[in-house]
Amino acid sequence: MREFELEPGEHVVLEARKHWFLFLGELLPYAILLILPFALPKLLVLAPPMAQYASVFDYHTILGRAGLGVWLLIWWTSAWGAFTRYFLNAWVLTNMRIVNIKQRRYFYRAVSSLFLSRVQDVTTDVNGVLSSILGIGDIKVQTAGEDIEFVMKGIPHPEKMRDVILRYVSLKPQNTGV
Amino acid sequence: MPDQPLQPFAPPTALLQYLPSGLNISPGLVVTWTLYAVFAFWALYTLVAIYHWLKYSHASWIAFPAIAVHLVVSFVIMSYALSGPAYFLAPYLP
Repeated sequence: MREFELEPGEHVVLEARKHWFLFLGELLPYAILLILPFALPKLLVLAPPMAQYASVFDYHTILGRAGLGVWLLIWWTSAWGAFTRYFLNAWVLTNMRIVNIKQRRYFYRAVSSLFLSRVQDVTTDVNGVLSSILGIGDIKVQTAGEDIEFVMKGIPHPEKMRDVILRYVSLKPQNTGV
Repeated sequence: MPDQPLQPFAPPTALLQYLPSGLNISPGLVVTWTLYAVFAFWALYTLVAIYHWLKYSHASWIAFPAIAVHLVVSFVIMSYALSGPAYFLAPYLP
């Protein structure tokens, strides 16, 4: 771990990221933009008043080919950047604490820890038909005393994560090393 | 709504005549150097992203396939943009 050092006796229990279905939803605009230069000429042909514009999309010329190449490169790289940010945003649960890693954008990274000894309440929230079917939900961890809470939205099977957190919260301090 | 059909874009050849006579810049050369500029920006962005993958991915095995796929796909797109027809795009081109 580069962001935080594990204490003696500490080990990673699980890592959680946003549900893959939500990530696919984030990729959808990129996919539409990637296929747009291929789909648009064919769609224009289907609409007779607009058919004359289809000839603008000629990718056999140097300029057309370069334009298409740049277009594809921009949106492919953007989609890959979205995957990078998806992967680098994570919750790490150890037997001592919860680590919330937020990668908002490149070079903007926030890592915060919440020790399990301070956890007072863990709440899960699954709303909607699709979320219930796919097991997508939010989890909120609140601490005793201060109004600090960790919230992670759109994680897979939040109730399982809640059970794991509560299992480690309920362990005796000597077992958790806290 | 425009009442005239769009015309295919033509490189600004009229502007090129104002360049010094010794400079013989063809539209193809302009396109090529524009592509190189775009690729340079891509290289910078990719380096930053790879740095984050290698530093913050917790030594995950996903990092290397993710980087490899990005590089391969990008190089294929770049080679298409620079040099011409690509068999993988041919069925989809109008």
